[in-house]
Amino acid sequence: MLKILSLLACWSLGTALLPAAEAFRFQENDLVLFLGDTWVEREQRDGHIETALLMSGGIANLRFRNLGWSGDTVECEARGYFNGAKEGFERLTAALSELQPSVVFLGYGGSAAFGGPEGIPAFRQGYERLLDRIGTAASPREIVLISPPPAENPGAPLPDLTAHNRNLALYRDVIRDLAAARKARFLDLFAALGAGEKRDRPLTDNGIHYTPDGYALMASKIVGGLGLAAVEPRPMHGDRLRETINAKNRLYFHQWRPANETYLHLFRKHEQGNNAAELPLFEPLVKAKEMEIEVLRQVAQPKQIAQ
Amino acid sequence: MKSFFSVPLLLCLVGVPGLVRAQKAMRDIPSPDPKVQAAGFKLPAGARINLFASDPMISKPVQMNWDSRGRLWLVSSGLYPHIEPFQEEQDRVLVLEDLDRDGAADKVSTYAEGLHIPTAVIPGDGGAYVANSEELLFLPDADGDLRADRRDVMLSGFGTEDTHHLIHTLRHGPEGMLYFNQSIYIHSHVETPWGVRRLLGGGVWQFRPETRRLEVYAKGLVNPWGLIFDEWGQSFATDGAGGEGINFVFPGAVFVSSPGASRVISGLNPGSPKHCGLVRLDGKHLPDALRGCLATADFRGSRVNIFRLERNGSTYKSIQQPDLVSSTHRAFRPIDLSVGPDGAVYIADWYNPIIQHGEVDFRDPRRDHVHGRIWRISFENRPVPARPDLAACTGPELFALLSGHEPWARDFARQELRRRGLAKVGKEVIAWADGAKDDRTRLEGIWAAQALNHVPGDAVRVLLTSPDPMARAAGLRVIYQSPGAFSDAEALLGNGVHDPDPLVRLWAVSGLAQLASVRSVGLALEVLDHPMEANIDFALWTLVRDRQAQWLPAFEKGEMNLDRNPERILFAARALGRGLGVDRFLKGLAEGTLPEGLVGEAVQLVAQTGGTEQVAGLLALGNREKLAIPVLSALSEAVRIRKLTPPADVKALNAMLTSPVPGVFAPAAQLCGLWKVAMARQTLESRFRGGLTPAGDWRAAAEALRMLGGAGSLAILREIAASGSTAEHRSIAVGELMRISPAEAAAVAVTLLQQREDGTDPMGIFETFLRQPGGPAALEKALAGKSLPQGIAVTGVQRASTSGNAPQGLIKALQAAGQLKPMTQALTAEQMGALVERVAVKGNAANGESIYRRTELQCAVCHAIGAQGGKIGPDLISIGASAPVDYLIESLLNPTAKIKEGYHTTFVTTKSGASFTGGVDSETGDVLVMRDALGALHRVPKVEIASRQISPISLMPAGLTASLREDEFVDLVRFLSELGKEGPYKTQPSDHLRSFSVLLPHQRVRDEIGHYGPAIFTEPVSDYQWLPFYSQVSGLIPVTELPQQIGRGRDRLGVLRFEVPTGTGRGLRLNDASQVTLFAGSEPVALPASGSVTVPLKDGPAASSPFTLVVNVTARTAPLEIRLVAGSGKAEGGEAKP
Repeated sequence: MLKILSLLACWSLGTALLPAAEAFRFQENDLVLFLGDTWVEREQRDGHIETALLMSGGIANLRFRNLGWSGDTVECEARGYFNGAKEGFERLTAALSELQPSVVFLGYGGSAAFGGPEGIPAFRQGYERLLDRIGTAASPREIVLISPPPAENPGAPLPDLTAHNRNLALYRDVIRDLAAARKARFLDLFAALGAGEKRDRPLTDNGIHYTPDGYALMASKIVGGLGLAAVEPRPMHGDRLRETINAKNRLYFHQWRPANETYLHLFRKHEQGNNAAELPLFEPLVKAKEMEIEVLRQVAQPKQIAQ
Repeated sequence: MKSFFSVPLLLCLVGVPGLVRAQKAMRDIPSPDPKVQAAGFKLPAGARINLFASDPMISKPVQMNWDSRGRLWLVSSGLYPHIEPFQEEQDRVLVLEDLDRDGAADKVSTYAEGLHIPTAVIPGDGGAYVANSEELLFLPDADGDLRADRRDVMLSGFGTEDTHHLIHTLRHGPEGMLYFNQSIYIHSHVETPWGVRRLLGGGVWQFRPETRRLEVYAKGLVNPWGLIFDEWGQSFATDGAGGEGINFVFPGAVFVSSPGASRVISGLNPGSPKHCGLVRLDGKHLPDALRGCLATADFRGSRVNIFRLERNGSTYKSIQQPDLVSSTHRAFRPIDLSVGPDGAVYIADWYNPIIQHGEVDFRDPRRDHVHGRIWRISFENRPVPARPDLAACTGPELFALLSGHEPWARDFARQELRRRGLAKVGKEVIAWADGAKDDRTRLEGIWAAQALNHVPGDAVRVLLTSPDPMARAAGLRVIYQSPGAFSDAEALLGNGVHDPDPLVRLWAVSGLAQLASVRSVGLALEVLDHPMEANIDFALWTLVRDRQAQWLPAFEKGEMNLDRNPERILFAARALGRGLGVDRFLKGLAEGTLPEGLVGEAVQLVAQTGGTEQVAGLLALGNREKLAIPVLSALSEAVRIRKLTPPADVKALNAMLTSPVPGVFAPAAQLCGLWKVAMARQTLESRFRGGLTPAGDWRAAAEALRMLGGAGSLAILREIAASGSTAEHRSIAVGELMRISPAEAAAVAVTLLQQREDGTDPMGIFETFLRQPGGPAALEKALAGKSLPQGIAVTGVQRASTSGNAPQGLIKALQAAGQLKPMTQALTAEQMGALVERVAVKGNAANGESIYRRTELQCAVCHAIGAQGGKIGPDLISIGASAPVDYLIESLLNPTAKIKEGYHTTFVTTKSGASFTGGVDSETGDVLVMRDALGALHRVPKVEIASRQISPISLMPAGLTASLREDEFVDLVRFLSELGKEGPYKTQPSDHLRSFSVLLPHQRVRDEIGHYGPAIFTEPVSDYQWLPFYSQVSGLIPVTELPQQIGRGRDRLGVLRFEVPTGTGRGLRLNDASQVTLFAGSEPVALPASGSVTVPLKDGPAASSPFTLVVNVTARTAPLEIRLVAGSGKAEGGEAKP
């Protein structure tokens, strides 16, 4: 059953996966960065995608960091705090320089697509600039561009998202073309998740935000799209692993995107900046969780029982 | 006596941040025993207070809301203000039940836990909505076991830049929407199925859960933790870091602190303490005096303030009433209020000896993380409303509750209908709304239907025809919310624009703002046919700007013409800052056909937006007597902003320099300078040399000459700087000379400063040098080896240290020239502890108040206490009740260490190198208006701005208290530490007159008082100098502090001037008429020789002419008290002060 699912995923994404060169492989000690807008940010509360990648990666000590941000754009508008996109872009650059990720998954375009066709030129330009910056700040081994997932039409009183889906497809096309031009990998989640076709059981709770089941399906499409073999954790262990991953992500969230930034690092730091000294103390806690995750990952591997 | 600052002090700042933490003087931590806390309450007669719930049953309540079964839900945060690395996310949603209905909770359920600083909860829709830092959660409870089944993220992307600004204050609107607020430092980016919504800074969000539609309802306010809707759906907010009391919030309103706002709406009670939470008091259990009032918590002053609202055009009047409760217990921190199902008032007590976390360290050991209370105020001999079992009620039973007067039953009957759903009860609800007998009931029916997400159009149309303007406004509010539900929305709103009632017109404009048609913009502008008011003007201005992309192309193509109505076109042009119909206005000005009231605006329009020829045409009109000043002033500003080039022929302009019309010279000279009109030189020079020229004309001439440039200008500036007729004349020359030859100018400036024995710098010499590139360095050099009077050196250091770039070299030079000691001090922990102790034991608040009022300390110039005083720094009305003593001391010694939100300064440098430091007063697309430390406004054209940043330097100069002896410093701190605490230094709502002008000594008085007597003070003498003067916190006027005029013989006279509002049946009550002479306008008022007296006020315009009061302070030293009372002489409102 599992195999069939992942085969299906391969099939649906196969044509979209560019270039057809070498297969995607994680490497030992990879630091994997998720960057993008709302669906990326919410993945850190859900954990299905990270869990699936960790299991299918099959490698010890893969580390994941999620820098997704609700409503973000390729210009980094949502990360700007007091000074808008310019500051957001620099904040992201600093994070990239510090983390030096070896693999970057990019999930932009979902929020931007609300800007409609008029927003396309700025989106393309902004995305180019972002890719350039990722290259100079971190030069990751792999950059994977992911299209935004499709919207569903849940019906009244929620809005009709048909037009939004058309826009999402336009933004998807831009991302696909960018990936092709830069010979980066591209995953067409928009197509893989059915491009907004009607379903018996919705994958979203409001037309655009995915439920846990939606994220589970998204995870399998991403794993398949990368050409990795899906590895389902042993029963009972999967949820424990995912919860531990989520707990790690929450600790990291408090470190990289703490509350009270005005006082910790911004223009009132002369009053409370002393308390920023606490932030690095999250690091050992994140590390401890990652050790726990590694143990769980090994325990959760399906056993090959000799026949 | 030793000067305070000869106490050995550390001169470095390094120790300061750790200071608060190191502080061991925690003696003012009150006992957490609820009995001790209860003993501190002061209540009005007939009121009782009891503990509904307390720690350990609950802890740290943040917001509370009832459910339809009478259970009280609250969020509780022990993590606030900041999670520590080892801490779990452990905050909770708790539900309290009073099972035996004795007014105390018997059962607590933990509905949810594992939350991160949740700041709001409201039950509804089969669960509860919870604000959880960056996300709004819905926690459903399908099986009703009071335990959340799971967490659904409804919305995410809310900012967390400050944990007391996180989204908060969840409220059900009467129409079934959810509202919540966010505060100044929060930047939210929220993706919804309707698009991405962004709100930067404070504001109010509006959310309909079933559609997931989220919109910004209003913007701004610093930290608005209070929001309510009244019985007509009008909304009001309070601000936990603002100072304007109740704010009337209409759709699209923008309040103080909203980023980039070019205009804002003010609150209804300027000079109020900061307020948290808001509830409308109603229901039969409450005394009649409270019903209909708003209650909000002064959490710093540990009390609950009451306000009564009255309609006032398109806004409201908010009149403060006596407090509902106050406490002497310093940890009583009321932050949320609610009327319960039993009609009593419930108060959430955050319980903390210190508040906030901006100024006091996150980890200050005095910060309480475990206590928290819910107090309940009930009234003796008042009926208790019945408690209906809403789930068991029939439809008609619920309708009966909706049309009743119990607020709790009304709100939850509506919730119950919403729970039952449109399919089940929709028909019944609509039929009830349609058949309603009165407008209030009809509105309840409409709201109940809206709560089911249905708009009952017929009932709304009936409401629009009501004779009651509140009902018509409420009807338009429905159209504003759901314009799509009305096919004729445009026509209905278009009618509303012409409603006789201004509030209805406001809602009509708000509704039209929601439409997409070009025509709706024209309809909205028709509101200008009626008298305009601030709120309507604001709403219209916003609409014209927001919808520019739609209507402007149509206007420019001639597809709409705004009925060729000049007033509407001018309004639209002004709103956009763009030329519309410029030729027609120019023609109207030339032909004199424009209505007089529009002339000024039309001149501005042509100057600010006209092309070269239009500008020349406008200049030509400058030779008309009536137009000269507006035309020249508008042009000189426009030239600065737009860099307009001069017209070919400037002879006419040159001729205007010799216009006989007073006031024409200065703007004409400015224009000549800006345009470098060479032929003007001779006139400018002779005017600048003239000893009898008014100072304003000197200034304009000097500036113009400097702009003309060349050897001639340098020569005359040198000449006047060296030998001008007065110090002012010379300093004006210095100001301009310094832009050409800083070293020379600085040398003269030093000699001028050396003459300032009184320590003041009225000509702004320091500002001149601080603002210009090279200025500070030149002045520093010129001061080498020179000495200055100590006072003027102190003034100079203050000015220099509060300018954005704080030039250290100049500060050192001033200190050396004035032989000053270093200004910034940090105390060791031991010194601070000892000082805190001395304040508690030895400090004398009464002495401290008179020190505070000393002119040389300048406290009242910048700070208000209540509404009385300057607006530059924070209002100190309850500083003592909110800030620890060590914080007060540190703020006096080193004002830059902690800066209150909203009071950070902005530092701007221009392309020419000039710099400005101050608060942003307002800004438009073209101009930034800054308010400097002296309160002066500077208009900086945006094209000239090179950089703009938030400055970490306080506008409050360091070392203001350097001249105080130690005992005086201790007294001053004691006074500040008493402000807002229960006792004589808490500003009470009272009828005292508190704000006056006082006359500075004047030569003429001395010479001629013998002849005219005190009537001399009522004369309109143009060079009488009047300064602001305020009563003490108690309302008393210390007559011995008044500036003294020399009277007959040994008499010394203090002169106060004040205005009082007109009003029927009111009078002025003096506590004691001894040695007092009073004039109404120029008419003497008969007073008895001594004793109290009430002077009846006349009605009508005459009553608004100022009163002048003269008191002979040689013969009387007892304080004076002036109150505005009902005509009988009985005091109104608040209690009389001892």
